[in-house]
Amino acid sequence: MSRIALVIGAIAAIVYPIPLQLQGYTYYQTVGFLVLLNAMLGIGWNVVGGWAGQFDFGPQVFFAVGAYTAALLFVKLGVGAWLGLVAAVVVAFLICAVLTYPLTRLRGHYFAIATVAIWMIAQPIGATWEFIGGSQGLFIPVKPRGGVVASALSLQFSGPTKALGYYYASLVLFAITLALMALVERSKLGYYFRAIRDDQEAAEGIGIDSRLYKVLARSITAAVFAAGGVLYAFWALSVFPEQALELNWSTLPIMATVVGGIGRLWGPVLGAIILIPIAQIMSTTLGTGPLAGRGVDLIVYGLIIVLIAAFRPTGLLSLPWARWFRLRRSATA
Amino acid sequence: MAPLLSLESATKQFGGLIANREVSLTIEPGEIVGLIGPNGAGKTTLFNCITGYMHPDAGRILFGGTDVTHTRPERICRLGVARTWQVVRAFGRMTALDNVVCGALQRTNRMSEARARAGALLEFTGLGGKTDLPAATLTLADKKRLEIARALATRPKLLLLDEAMSGLTPLETTAAVQLVRRIHAELKVTICVVEHVMEVVMPLSHRVVVLDYGVKIADGPPEGVVRDEQVIRAYLGERRAAR
Repeated sequence: MSRIALVIGAIAAIVYPIPLQLQGYTYYQTVGFLVLLNAMLGIGWNVVGGWAGQFDFGPQVFFAVGAYTAALLFVKLGVGAWLGLVAAVVVAFLICAVLTYPLTRLRGHYFAIATVAIWMIAQPIGATWEFIGGSQGLFIPVKPRGGVVASALSLQFSGPTKALGYYYASLVLFAITLALMALVERSKLGYYFRAIRDDQEAAEGIGIDSRLYKVLARSITAAVFAAGGVLYAFWALSVFPEQALELNWSTLPIMATVVGGIGRLWGPVLGAIILIPIAQIMSTTLGTGPLAGRGVDLIVYGLIIVLIAAFRPTGLLSLPWARWFRLRRSATA
Repeated sequence: MAPLLSLESATKQFGGLIANREVSLTIEPGEIVGLIGPNGAGKTTLFNCITGYMHPDAGRILFGGTDVTHTRPERICRLGVARTWQVVRAFGRMTALDNVVCGALQRTNRMSEARARAGALLEFTGLGGKTDLPAATLTLADKKRLEIARALATRPKLLLLDEAMSGLTPLETTAAVQLVRRIHAELKVTICVVEHVMEVVMPLSHRVVVLDYGVKIADGPPEGVVRDEQVIRAYLGERRAAR
């Protein structure tokens, strides 16, 4: 990604919600929030799925672990959201490490099945465990605080600036995730993950502990999902099993990663920017009016994904963007 | 001097098939040892046992005095054993440089140091102009060199080459033999080569070990081994041996 594109993207992301706020279109701020949240989750999934090459279809478990950890700390002990977020990231990382270690003997489809199985086990636990509120879940009360700073520090935005506040909160978490994963990509971790993906035996032969690094890759993914879960819980003001363990929390980020470009840092970002608004636009156009309630929006949405997957399986980021841009620039000059 | 590697009657069995039967051998520091034998003699199985991908059912393997009979591959690498593969296993989607960087990171945590070392080793193995190419796009000969560079990056005391010359043209084979000699002379690495091609092993090795049906049938200097009755029988058949 070139430096100019990065600067333009950053400015666009910062400025985006301001005209919407002035016009009162807060719905599109929420769309932006969902884009950034799913982009962030996609960047997280890319670590285990794109770099380490292990198909993890159960990261939503750690989205829920994060959401519940921060919500419990907030509701039962009055711990603030940001401190809760740090705790959630640590808890999810550790739980994931313990759960994943025995799975590292499995490969390919069997590893994938095991990650789904853990998600299936998590559902009845979430629905029946009284301590975390069972199927009712937990409600996060809004503690009104005056001022932008107080709202930002408590991650609680309400009223007409709610969507704006959560948009910027998601932008901050997205940027932190992106920066940290850019570091991971260039570090020993990133190299070892890709080595295991390309050839596990050869990786072991040059001294890479494949089990340890698979656990690390999946636990880093889990930590990112936990942070996303905390953000979502405070936005939704509640956590309950069906919401936090929803399958969409893995399928959307995974699809964003694959559509944008699996194994590339910016792949999930591009994927989320394309997929999430399409889903939202489809549901506001095709999902209303004479076709409402027939799922036409989902059918069209699905078709778009199938077309991208069929014609560009390596992702949209792998298209020769640089060449096209140079051509256009020389054509206009 | 104590042997670098020693196998004490190592046996490896797959169901009813005995791939290695009570194989005992030693490799001294500074040697180039050739391991030969007909197809299915158990050469690769022996390599897999030494490098921890398989574990012998009986017997012991010692590396530098440490018992590594049941040690995992990554630990054995860290002790100082590196290998290449009969069927090449380059990290296909990574560049040639990044392949070797992965090996170099075994001995340093600093990226700049790992990159410098990887660059130097690619130069040493003759891949200096191909550092940024994805490994999957290299020719077979270059992939084999890349594997050697990656193995050397882990700073091994003992390098095990599993058919590093098979499938190469005569010209490429000559170059590969030269590379092995340079690794031995300039980097002071002890080497064990598995090879089919007698013409390659004989002039290269200080000592040759012959396996046949999983049993060690000869062990000695090349000129002695080629005259050994049992070896001729294993390679050329009963009738010629009788003559």
